[in-house]
Amino acid sequence: MASLQPKIKSKVRCVDGEVGEIVHVIADPLSLDVSHIVVRANGTERQVPVSAIGAIRGESVELTCNAAQFSGFPELKRQDYVSSKEVEIPHLENRIHVEPGELLVPFPELEKNCARRSFFAGFINVIGALIALPLVWPVLRYIMKPMYVPYDNHWIKIGNISKVKAEDVGVQYIFKKSFKDSVLQREEDKNHWMVKASPETLKKIYPHGDIHFYDEKGEIIWVNKQTVPYVAFSGKCPHLGCGYKWRSHKTRGQVFLCPCHLSIYDVAGTVLDGPAPRPLDVLPIKVSASGDIEVIDVEYKAGRKEQIRIA
Amino acid sequence: MNGLLQKVYDFVDERIDLKTLEAKMMNEPIKGGSRWAYVFGSCLLFIFIMQVITGILLMFYYIPSADHAYASTQYIIHEVDYGWFILSYHFWGSSAMVVMVFAHMSQVFLWGAYKKPREMIWLVGLVLFVIVMAFGFTGYLLPWDQRAYWATTVGVEIMDKTPIVGDFLARFLKGGPTPGQMTLSRFFVIHVMILPAALMGLAGLHLFLFRSAGPAGPFRGTPEELRAKTDFFFPRQVWKDIVAIAVVFLTICSLAFIEPVQLLEQATPDPGDYHPEPEWYFLFLFQMLRLKVFSGELGQFVAGVAIPGAFLLLLAALPFIDRSPERNIFKRPIALLSWTVVTIGILVLTVSAILNREFLE
Amino acid sequence: MAHPVESISSIKLAWAVSWSAFWTGFPFKLIVALLLLAGQVHPWEGAGLVTLLVVSVPIDIWAVGLTARTVFLERLGMEVQGPVGVTLWWQGAVLGALVLGGAYYVVGTTVAVGRKIAAAIIALIKNVYPTLPIAEQITLELLLWTIPTAIVVLVCVLIWLQLFGWCVKRFVVTSGQTTSASLLERVRQWDYARVPADPTLVLVSFAGVIVTLTVVFWVLLPVTTPTPHPDYPLPPVEKAAKPVKPEELIKKTEATLEKAEAVLTALEKEKSKETKKGKGK
Repeated sequence: MASLQPKIKSKVRCVDGEVGEIVHVIADPLSLDVSHIVVRANGTERQVPVSAIGAIRGESVELTCNAAQFSGFPELKRQDYVSSKEVEIPHLENRIHVEPGELLVPFPELEKNCARRSFFAGFINVIGALIALPLVWPVLRYIMKPMYVPYDNHWIKIGNISKVKAEDVGVQYIFKKSFKDSVLQREEDKNHWMVKASPETLKKIYPHGDIHFYDEKGEIIWVNKQTVPYVAFSGKCPHLGCGYKWRSHKTRGQVFLCPCHLSIYDVAGTVLDGPAPRPLDVLPIKVSASGDIEVIDVEYKAGRKEQIRIA
Repeated sequence: MNGLLQKVYDFVDERIDLKTLEAKMMNEPIKGGSRWAYVFGSCLLFIFIMQVITGILLMFYYIPSADHAYASTQYIIHEVDYGWFILSYHFWGSSAMVVMVFAHMSQVFLWGAYKKPREMIWLVGLVLFVIVMAFGFTGYLLPWDQRAYWATTVGVEIMDKTPIVGDFLARFLKGGPTPGQMTLSRFFVIHVMILPAALMGLAGLHLFLFRSAGPAGPFRGTPEELRAKTDFFFPRQVWKDIVAIAVVFLTICSLAFIEPVQLLEQATPDPGDYHPEPEWYFLFLFQMLRLKVFSGELGQFVAGVAIPGAFLLLLAALPFIDRSPERNIFKRPIALLSWTVVTIGILVLTVSAILNREFLE
Repeated sequence: MAHPVESISSIKLAWAVSWSAFWTGFPFKLIVALLLLAGQVHPWEGAGLVTLLVVSVPIDIWAVGLTARTVFLERLGMEVQGPVGVTLWWQGAVLGALVLGGAYYVVGTTVAVGRKIAAAIIALIKNVYPTLPIAEQITLELLLWTIPTAIVVLVCVLIWLQLFGWCVKRFVVTSGQTTSASLLERVRQWDYARVPADPTLVLVSFAGVIVTLTVVFWVLLPVTTPTPHPDYPLPPVEKAAKPVKPEELIKKTEATLEKAEAVLTALEKEKSKETKKGKGK
């Protein structure tokens, strides 16, 4: 038997005359069939079960009862129902062809309690926190493990002072740095610049006397004495970390010149031109009795006026 | 703060009708009310999400090369803060996923929720099941220790026995005639890219089909009972789902503590004293392969590929063979009996495989 | 007219109450067990087990009270006043202790005897069929002794359920009153009873407890693996580096430099001598 398809705005007749028109259709969510029609008659809306429908002919519906019996049907309690737009009942609107918004389904008894709904909604959030919160600290530490490693303060032999022939001339020392990179043992080519400084240059390199180098706890790990003429400059330009060169400049003579952004430094590392924020970084240096040079490969943050050690 | 949130909500609602969308998603009436029996699907989704999160974290440090896979896994366990916990969670999460898949499939089977009109949900679900097993198989190789290497080798050799396509399939998986770097690369790509994409797509389809058909609900109850207990998906069913999820989460964490992941020695082509074994959820198949009746090349194919394959095909055909609308499990004796026999069979064979270890010493 | 308790068997009633009560209490016990594990304490033995059992008592009393009231209301249409949880809990616990004691003995005997018989049957089979393969033997032997054991365990569980069910029924008959509410109203009653009188207070306290327990968890959780491998020792605690004394350092450096310069000058002298010699030749 095809399900009844009453139409909204259809005229409704009892056996003894017209009573009103359909304003809502109510469906049963279990059977997906129409269970009641709501008829507006003289300003009141009455809920009429489908058992009272005799026939549906196009735009008019005929009831099996008379007008007196019709007035006995209960009035619609709108708060006991929700429109089909506000719930998700599969296939309901396929089966009952009524304009959406006017198809009503019963509002489940249990859902009528607002306090219940908001309590359980809050409870869901609290349990969500129970699951998400314990993970925050371990995951953060896990990701951050390699980010703040302690400084590498070991001495590396980079060459011998016999390579430096003259004073106040930049000499490049290329060496292989061997280190542990997570699980890999790697070797990288690195370079630093050595200068055998004349006393005037030395005064410019050490304007405030000896340079002290510290570890993370603030303890001194080395002191570069201002009278030692051998100075090692870090091979990374303090602007953005490029490798710079010792070149003859058109007007300034022999200088350290960085090809990336054209920072120019004199033999004492002082900035002559370009975007460099600070002079060339001096490294801790140790010269052995046989003239072997050892440095600590200190790295500072690029682009800053102050020296901030990072490695 | 509340006022600001309300303003943002109203802004979005004006443009995409958020209120109706919310209502459609949350106000799904569940016949007979929300039930603890319905939580397994949501638990599966949660376990999968956690596997993705822990898996992504592991990828921060894991190196998928035959030279460094083992060392980088040991690095995670021994050098990265809480690395042992993240890896152990991922390991036990994969076991939990297999257990939950079995629970979910059993619940759907016993409730008869594969029957009309839910056949397509069941079929997509079976594909999802195969994907979950494939996840376990591919992930197991990645630490590249003896256990990983040999479980994979044995597993792929079994697949090789399939007639016609076996050799091609085995060479595809191994990336060559013998296992090596290519195997690891392929398993890594499959585990980390292909299977997750497939699972997410199919899980979306699975959920869409489920919402289209609506929940099947309980298999008994008078209309009066069903109506009295009906409530919406949100908040009650969501609440039950999230409590079950919390229990699953705490259980996996506990397992990570009770038995953290420990690797054997690095993989070598010579198994030495090590007796190859697959992960625990494949042990029943492994034991079946040991039975005398399945000895020989044809027998190994039958036990390793044909029987599991036939069983999956039977499950796929189930909604079309079993057309009776009866969903009450106590009125479906064949279904109840078959489920019990299969479950006990798997259990007995798994325990037998564990007992068999003593005989190998 | 039959009393509502007659409408359901004792076993079904006991099952309805105890199964739900177990799972209701489970999440809370799991939190306690997890915290014990994070602190490297095993919850299945020793101090851990004692803690878990002690904590389980109030949790189970609450859970049994909650589920029992729900089952009585919905299935039996009865309301019960008074301490439901405590009464039913101690009755169930006493019965449990008795049945568990008996079951320990009975099941233990069944396992021991069953295994002997299974081994004997296998030996018998092997007399007739000496080439019985190992895999088949293992499975057969396993089935031979686990099936009787499973039956015995099931019987013990059913005995406890039956006894507990009688206790529950007697409790309902003596302490319960029938309610005339319809099914819908009864369902609504137990459902709404789950909503506390002051939801905000309950939720905020829950959240507070969770935050506290999370912090405890973080403190207890070991940073490095609790099962270290001998090949991967923990990084040694760095020895306190000797503090550098600047004056000594400077003196040392100066001395070394003088030596180095001397060596260089000597080398240069050597070189110039050789060149002269070379030129001279």
